[in-house]
Amino acid sequence: MLKSKTFVKKTRSGGIMKIVREHYLRDDIWCGSEVCTECKQEETVLQKDACIESNLCSFPHYLLPDTNIVLSQIDILEDPLIKNVIILQTVLQEVRHRSAPIYKRLKDILHDKEKHFYTFTNEHHRETYIEREQGESANDRNDRAIRISTKWYSDHLNNTPTDKRLKVVLLTNDRGNKEKAEESGLLTYRCKKQDTSVTSVPQDETAVLTSNEITSSKVLFPEHLPLSRIQSGIKSGTFQQGTFRASRDNYLEATVFVHGEGDDSTEVLIQGLQNLNRAVHQDLVAVEILPLNQWVAPSSVVLQDEGPKEDDVTEEEEAELKSGPSGAASRKPTGRVVGIIKRNWRPFCGMLFLSQIKEATRHLFTPADRRIPRIRIETRQAATLAGQRIMVAIDGWPKHSRYPNGHFVRSLGSAGDKETETEVLLLEHDVPHQDFSQAVLSFLPKMPWNITEEDMAVREDLRNLTVCSVDPPGCTDIDDALHCRDLPNGNQEVGVHIADVSHFIRPGNAMDLEAANRGTTVYLTGRRIDMVPELLSSNLCSLRSSVERLAFSCIWEINDKAEIVKTRFTKSVINSKASLTYAEAQMRIDDANMNDDTTKSLRGLNRLAKILKKRRIEKGALTLSSPEVRFHIDSETHDPIDLQTKELKETNSMVEEFMLLANISVAQKIYDEFSECALLRKHPAPPPSNYDILNKAAKSKDMVIHTDSAKALADSLDAAQVDGFPYFNTLLRILATRCMMQAVYFCSGMDSDFHHYGLASPIYTHFTSPIRRYSDIIVHRLLAVAIGADSTYPDLMDKHKQSALCNNLNYRHKMAQYAQRASVAYHTQLFFKSRGILNEEGFILFVRKNAIIVLIPKFGLEGTVFFENKDKPSPKLIFNEEVPSLTVEGHSFNMFDKVKVTISLDASNVQHQKIRMSLVEPVISGVSVAPSEPEPEVKRAKLDR
Amino acid sequence: MATVQVSEAEKVYILHGVRDDLRVDGRGCEDYRHMEIETDMVSNTDGSAKVTLGHTDVLVGVKAEMGKPRPMVPDEGYLEFFVDCSANATPEFEGRGGDELGMELSNTLYKVFNNRYSVDLKSLCISPGEHCWVLYVDVLLLQCDGNLFDAISVAIKAALFNTKIPKVHISEDEEGGKEIELSDDPYDCMRLNVENVPCIVTLCKVGHRHVVDATLQEKACSVASLIISVTHKGTVTCVRKVGGGSLDPESIFEMTETGKRVGKALHAPLMALLQEEESLGKKRQKVGFLG
Repeated sequence: MLKSKTFVKKTRSGGIMKIVREHYLRDDIWCGSEVCTECKQEETVLQKDACIESNLCSFPHYLLPDTNIVLSQIDILEDPLIKNVIILQTVLQEVRHRSAPIYKRLKDILHDKEKHFYTFTNEHHRETYIEREQGESANDRNDRAIRISTKWYSDHLNNTPTDKRLKVVLLTNDRGNKEKAEESGLLTYRCKKQDTSVTSVPQDETAVLTSNEITSSKVLFPEHLPLSRIQSGIKSGTFQQGTFRASRDNYLEATVFVHGEGDDSTEVLIQGLQNLNRAVHQDLVAVEILPLNQWVAPSSVVLQDEGPKEDDVTEEEEAELKSGPSGAASRKPTGRVVGIIKRNWRPFCGMLFLSQIKEATRHLFTPADRRIPRIRIETRQAATLAGQRIMVAIDGWPKHSRYPNGHFVRSLGSAGDKETETEVLLLEHDVPHQDFSQAVLSFLPKMPWNITEEDMAVREDLRNLTVCSVDPPGCTDIDDALHCRDLPNGNQEVGVHIADVSHFIRPGNAMDLEAANRGTTVYLTGRRIDMVPELLSSNLCSLRSSVERLAFSCIWEINDKAEIVKTRFTKSVINSKASLTYAEAQMRIDDANMNDDTTKSLRGLNRLAKILKKRRIEKGALTLSSPEVRFHIDSETHDPIDLQTKELKETNSMVEEFMLLANISVAQKIYDEFSECALLRKHPAPPPSNYDILNKAAKSKDMVIHTDSAKALADSLDAAQVDGFPYFNTLLRILATRCMMQAVYFCSGMDSDFHHYGLASPIYTHFTSPIRRYSDIIVHRLLAVAIGADSTYPDLMDKHKQSALCNNLNYRHKMAQYAQRASVAYHTQLFFKSRGILNEEGFILFVRKNAIIVLIPKFGLEGTVFFENKDKPSPKLIFNEEVPSLTVEGHSFNMFDKVKVTISLDASNVQHQKIRMSLVEPVISGVSVAPSEPEPEVKRAKLDR
Repeated sequence: MATVQVSEAEKVYILHGVRDDLRVDGRGCEDYRHMEIETDMVSNTDGSAKVTLGHTDVLVGVKAEMGKPRPMVPDEGYLEFFVDCSANATPEFEGRGGDELGMELSNTLYKVFNNRYSVDLKSLCISPGEHCWVLYVDVLLLQCDGNLFDAISVAIKAALFNTKIPKVHISEDEEGGKEIELSDDPYDCMRLNVENVPCIVTLCKVGHRHVVDATLQEKACSVASLIISVTHKGTVTCVRKVGGGSLDPESIFEMTETGKRVGKALHAPLMALLQEEESLGKKRQKVGFLG
């Protein structure tokens, strides 16, 4: 028999659609009971002696729960005592619609043969199917369907022989439903009664479970205030405005950075789902500070949202949160989010977390960034998307939803794939990496490109000079070249020639805007994301040897003591005689047999550089250290084969010295010319508290580090040596690096402090790498105007625009750095994946409450050795913050202690693979592990293929 | 238009019959053929009706969709017509044969029905200037046996009567954005007032007289015909002449008078019938296409 089900639905595009489904009714749906003689069923589920020890129903009976009973009392239903239950299709569908986890549990019970739960497809049964009537709500209709089916069951079972007769008991907590059912002569009980009457179920369990009705339309979050009220609130001071930053470790905690007047910005702590009120990381929000007695301290627990709990508010976790350290001293201003001023949603990368219901179309998406909440998306292609990295955009966050709703944007490829992971890395760090648009490319010079007469007319012809470039091997974007020659008066002429990128990139065109947006070229392991199109970066601007190139030259006359006698800047044409690598240049200098012009020039440069460096260090410039690694990449598979730490040659510092000199000279020149709008770079001195860790570290070796000035710091770092521990000094320098502030670009008109702490220079800028940094392009333009080689344009002279540009450049530089680090980390992981487990020696860099951080000099790799383990009883830990030291089972760990660790890759979480380290030496029973065997040879052979 | 070949003798016979108010099938000049109406035929439309007039068979379906109101009338919805001349109706419609007729029919229907005097277009507006209901009226010709206009107009009136538009209401969220919310109850729907919807009466000039509901044979004897749309009050809302011949003013006047009389008489039983069918509700035995 055919019926049609009609319903109206709203489509995603906002239209309204009438949907008609054919619905077939049948009369071969059996009741599933053993006692039934009418139904021609092959197997029965419900037993004939269905008897639960109950003082309410002493007769044998089947239970028939309604939807709310299943939703609220699923624990009772799971009890092995409860058997012979009829689950109606109506109930099953409603449960599925309202709570996926409970649906899953119910399905599990249904599959359990021991439980004797039977699904009766009443919606397709000819006698129990009902149509929704006029004025009847969907819920009422379902209740009626349940009653009709119960009625059918009791009538149906009445036809069996009297001695085996069974009854059907409808369970409902709905009073209205119960009354109606009793009117039609059905045996109905409220669940509470039924349960307490079941003698063997413990009393307290039932008490807990009778509460807690689940309603999907429950409002979880308070309403956001309208913008007008937020604005008036901010004006009157009741609300604060700030950037929302979610905590990486605890999804129920966040801080809001409130930007006050000038420098005093405060942090407001937000705790709990309700108070977070749907704000997402980086949103601009309005917060209300709670009264003082509600202030809390940031919790130290690590909490991660486990996801499938759906709408159950995580009360226990919130309780746990509050039980954190609550000493009055550690309390911080605490507030709650009252409204969102500006959302800062972007598409997020991550992976799909499949719903437990197989055919469901709603799934949770877990972003790679832990600070972003899970996002619920609707998709039919979940099965294909599982195991892939995908991008999802948030559409909105309704107040009754635990998670924001979003939609699938695109797939990036399968997780773990190198291409995909690099893409994720770039997207997550907001690195613009699309191919250059046609509009940008249209501003490239037409090939073949030649230097024209007009160019020659305004430029100095330096083609006859012996210019050469020194760069790392494989460098294609050569932006600097040098020359040095003797002058008749005994002084020397030194020239630094920088690629004249600003000749090609004219202000305001599409290429300029794109470069300004990108800010910097990003170097990842095995990939380079250019700031300017490749034609410029690797060809026309690159100062390759034996071709004529346009340059911006900075030429000094320097006397024997390396003092600058005269400085001039000019646009020029050069013809580089040689492109050398650092090693090649070094060899030329060292080889006494070589006496050509290039080599002589290099020697002259080297000699001057040494004097310059010495003088700079005397002034207090810091030589810091950070462990940097290079990968040897397999040319075919692009997998890392080996890694080595970067080593520095004399020629490195030779080039560096002249670049610094050029930068400082240019900085002075542009500042003299344009005191209001020069783009400079500063490095603020770190606050003394930053040095705490360095001081403690030195103290552990009985040394004192003076940190009152850069000079003092540099001197004490030089003096810090431990016999028989040559690496100590490097470690100390690594630590010192961590104490430093970020160097930033700024506009001279907007700031008064120009000092560069690290270089001990009163003024500094970036001039020497215009191919890979946009800041240098601006500096070139400023300098060109200063020497009358080019004309100015309004934006260049606008200090506010300049300042905004600086902010973008600083942001891009920071992100590029993070992306580079992440890329190195990813390749390190790949490397260790192919290497299996390694045993290495390392040094303790930091000591934490429950872990030590170990640096492996060989790989420049840093890792954490945890002493607490989830599934093991934690060893006895005593942490002394003063020293700092950590005593584990009697063995104390101090900074710089030498330890031996095993390194392996922990791939248990596909999204967050990490290097795992565990202690081998010193041996502490129950804590350290046995050293693993060196990796099998076979694996190696495979790799070398 | 579907035509039949009629011999001279037949023509004379028909002409003489009409002159004496006795047509070939026994009807008088102002009589319709047997008419059957059934509504709610197609479940996936919002309203539908099938009308059989003699052997002419038309099916009309109404779909309500959300759209943007026309800029000139921001507080009104509108109707769209499409007539599908299926080749089932007559072999002449095969290929693109029916397109021209379809266009002509839908244009006429648009003129007759899409105005505020026929249908309460204001009731189709959801939010002025932003959302309104657009009623897509699809006419499918299943069989042609003359007098298409009349059959179609009756079917449209019946289908509009049958149309149930889901009720929506606009809610405003906190950012001032409007969202359309749909009623949960499928029975909660809006009905159209079809009282003023006109019916079309086609009058064919046969000899010196004119007939309503001409068969194909009669049509072949006629030089020109007049289509008149008449409301239940007898108001003429549209008059159009179709066919190649000419009509003298006096006969046009006579035909209009007849049209008014016939049209007025057509409405009352039609409405009664529709209301009766409606009152049967779900108990009604559906006839469908095979009955």
